Amino acid sequence: MESTILRAGFRRAITSSYSPAKRRVLIHHHPRRSYATPAEPIRAAAPINFTSDTNQFARSSGGNNNSNSEQDYERLLHRVRIVPASPSYFTATPRYTDDFLYLSSLYRKYQLLPRLAPGTEPRVAWKTLLEYRTESGEPVRQKGYAIMLSLLKRLNKIHTALLPVEVQRALQRYKRRIQPYLNRAKPIEIDQLGRARAVGRRKSSSAVVYIVEGDGECLINGRTLTEYFGRLHDRESAVWALKATQRLDKYNVWSVVKGGGTTGQAEAITLGVAKALLAHEPDLKASLRRAGVITRDIRRVERKKAGKLKARKMPAWVKR
Amino acid sequence: MASSICLRCLRRSLQSIESSHRAAFSTSASFSAAAPPKKQGAPGGTGARPPAAGERKALRKRIVLSNTNALQVEGLEDFTGDKLVRHEPGTVTLDKFRGQVLGLDDETVDALRALESFKSTQAWSLFRRPATLIRAETAQLANQLANAEGDGKEVSRMVIYGSPGSSRGSGKSVMLLQAHAMAFLKDWLVVHFPEAQDLTNAHTAYQPVTTPTGTIYIQTHYTAKLLANIARANQKLLSGLQLSQQHRLPIPVQANISLSRFVELGAQDPDLAWPIWQALWLELTTPSQSESKDGLQRPPVLVTMDGVDQAMRSSAYLDSETNPIHAHDLALPRHFMNLLSGQTKLPNGGMVLAATCDSNRAAASTMDHCLARISAIQNNAQPPHWDPFVAKDAKVEAALKDVQALKLPGLSKTEARGVMEYYARSGMFRHTVTEGMVSEKWTLAGSGIIGELERATIRARF
Repeated sequence: MESTILRAGFRRAITSSYSPAKRRVLIHHHPRRSYATPAEPIRAAAPINFTSDTNQFARSSGGNNNSNSEQDYERLLHRVRIVPASPSYFTATPRYTDDFLYLSSLYRKYQLLPRLAPGTEPRVAWKTLLEYRTESGEPVRQKGYAIMLSLLKRLNKIHTALLPVEVQRALQRYKRRIQPYLNRAKPIEIDQLGRARAVGRRKSSSAVVYIVEGDGECLINGRTLTEYFGRLHDRESAVWALKATQRLDKYNVWSVVKGGGTTGQAEAITLGVAKALLAHEPDLKASLRRAGVITRDIRRVERKKAGKLKARKMPAWVKR
Repeated sequence: MASSICLRCLRRSLQSIESSHRAAFSTSASFSAAAPPKKQGAPGGTGARPPAAGERKALRKRIVLSNTNALQVEGLEDFTGDKLVRHEPGTVTLDKFRGQVLGLDDETVDALRALESFKSTQAWSLFRRPATLIRAETAQLANQLANAEGDGKEVSRMVIYGSPGSSRGSGKSVMLLQAHAMAFLKDWLVVHFPEAQDLTNAHTAYQPVTTPTGTIYIQTHYTAKLLANIARANQKLLSGLQLSQQHRLPIPVQANISLSRFVELGAQDPDLAWPIWQALWLELTTPSQSESKDGLQRPPVLVTMDGVDQAMRSSAYLDSETNPIHAHDLALPRHFMNLLSGQTKLPNGGMVLAATCDSNRAAASTMDHCLARISAIQNNAQPPHWDPFVAKDAKVEAALKDVQALKLPGLSKTEARGVMEYYARSGMFRHTVTEGMVSEKWTLAGSGIIGELERATIRARF
């Protein structure tokens, strides 16, 4: 009991011996209590823009703190706190904003350079929005990215002979790593026996077709056309490329076809025949395209969905 | 505009015109089947009634040989006897008509109809009158027919076939028909088994007969029908021939009865059919007396069977122990097989032809193997080997031991052009027959399979 009274008496004596001004300072220097985990996520500051001035963080040598010059104000700012490198640091998508501003500046800079004729610019597969978002780690909006893409496309139109290096580098950043448009199909060659080999596909069938100059005979999996295709329509489909170009009596067809059904197989052969025929006579491409045997039909059977009987068919409606 | 007669009534009335005479017995509804008796409908009832038994089949099997809407082909030559005479050694005049279509005259058509040579699946009903294409194989066949009449009386025994699965519609039955027509024009006797299937699928009555070589099974009703066909088709020829020997028959028969009358006796009574069939063949295989004109004269005989693959395996009949009977143990197929293998000789010359059928192909692996083997030997190729783990049909092998095989390929482009021009001139093919068109259809028809060519040109409707 006595000890507590004594202790309180000492404390009072000590505190009364301090000056009030000093006491305030002491209170100010007391560290505040804080939690182990910060309430807000810790963010790394933007990289500090070091200047060549070795004394950049020092007080100004003149000691005149009330100077109005802008330069001094900047210096002061840099001294008293860390300034982010990018002015868009405080936007939601600083990297995107920076990229966009940079591309715009490039565009403004080079907008007077001659352009390629429409349709002749190199085809480029640009990064997708998802890729760009992942890369920048920012919630870039679709519209914003579309605007950026249009800028990129405009830069891509600059004449290739005059394309500045910095534009080239900038474009390179936004190109996909694999450029499918650079792929070139291996040209079909006619072997020493006069055969052209091509592969055609349709639905789930695939046909390997050999075409050789001849008198219009056709063998499919070792069987004749009539034997293999009972339907007249399928027979016509199989040799349609030759029929449409009036070459039916000039070539023999030999084909190995696998997978799928009758129609798919017949139309797979059609495409194969057309490709192999192009190897013999490349000039037929236009008429074959008109005959509709150049483009692969990519449609496949639609998958079945849960709750449906087929891809789209709903079960019959039953009252209760 | 509504017609005054409904389609069904029209069909029925046509049927009654067509069939004035009904066959004594028929397993397949024959082309001459009479209109089935009308059912007495309820008085005043005009509602649709189901067709009577057999009506639909009769309609399906009906043979129509004319199309009044088709154009008459100008300058269509007839298939006549003078085209079958020797032209040069080894060829006949018909050789010059290769790739052309020749018309069949009415008399021949009647005989072919009686023989049931026409099939409902063939496109006879699309043209004004029956006509056939002379292809290379036809000319070759005509040459062999000419050989059979020569001094050597060389009898060709041949199976017309195609590779299994690919020869459908390649013209095998029409080759038989052409052989019939040629034989008829040459005054040969023609015997034709229209469908071997009818003999072996157990749809007609059979009974066992004990012979020194074992039990065989005769089919009396079918025999009677066959005799009727023979009598009708060869009426002119048979009426000029007389019975020359004494036969042991169940009924007394006039000694010098004409063969036509004799065959008709068998056709009328199934119980008499088998003995009469045997007696007829004894008569036909008696050698002619070539020295004197007044002596016995017997014509060469053409015997043919269509769909022979059905008779080259076990039949659907059962014996008394319920084991399947081999087709060659049935009397009629055995008779044919003896002729085909050369066991029964034809001393007056003739020819034995068999054709396989690909649209209703029986699984006759021994026959397929034998034909492939014969064909390979004919072409100086390596003959195939028989799978040692599969039992071989010894009877079939024996029957095909010494026959020729004729594998019918597709038409050549010249022949295809000939037949397409005929289609065009008949008004059934409304395009210009150009080189490109011919080769297009030739390819679509699997290298000129004539049935497919016909389907692609005149049957297809786009």
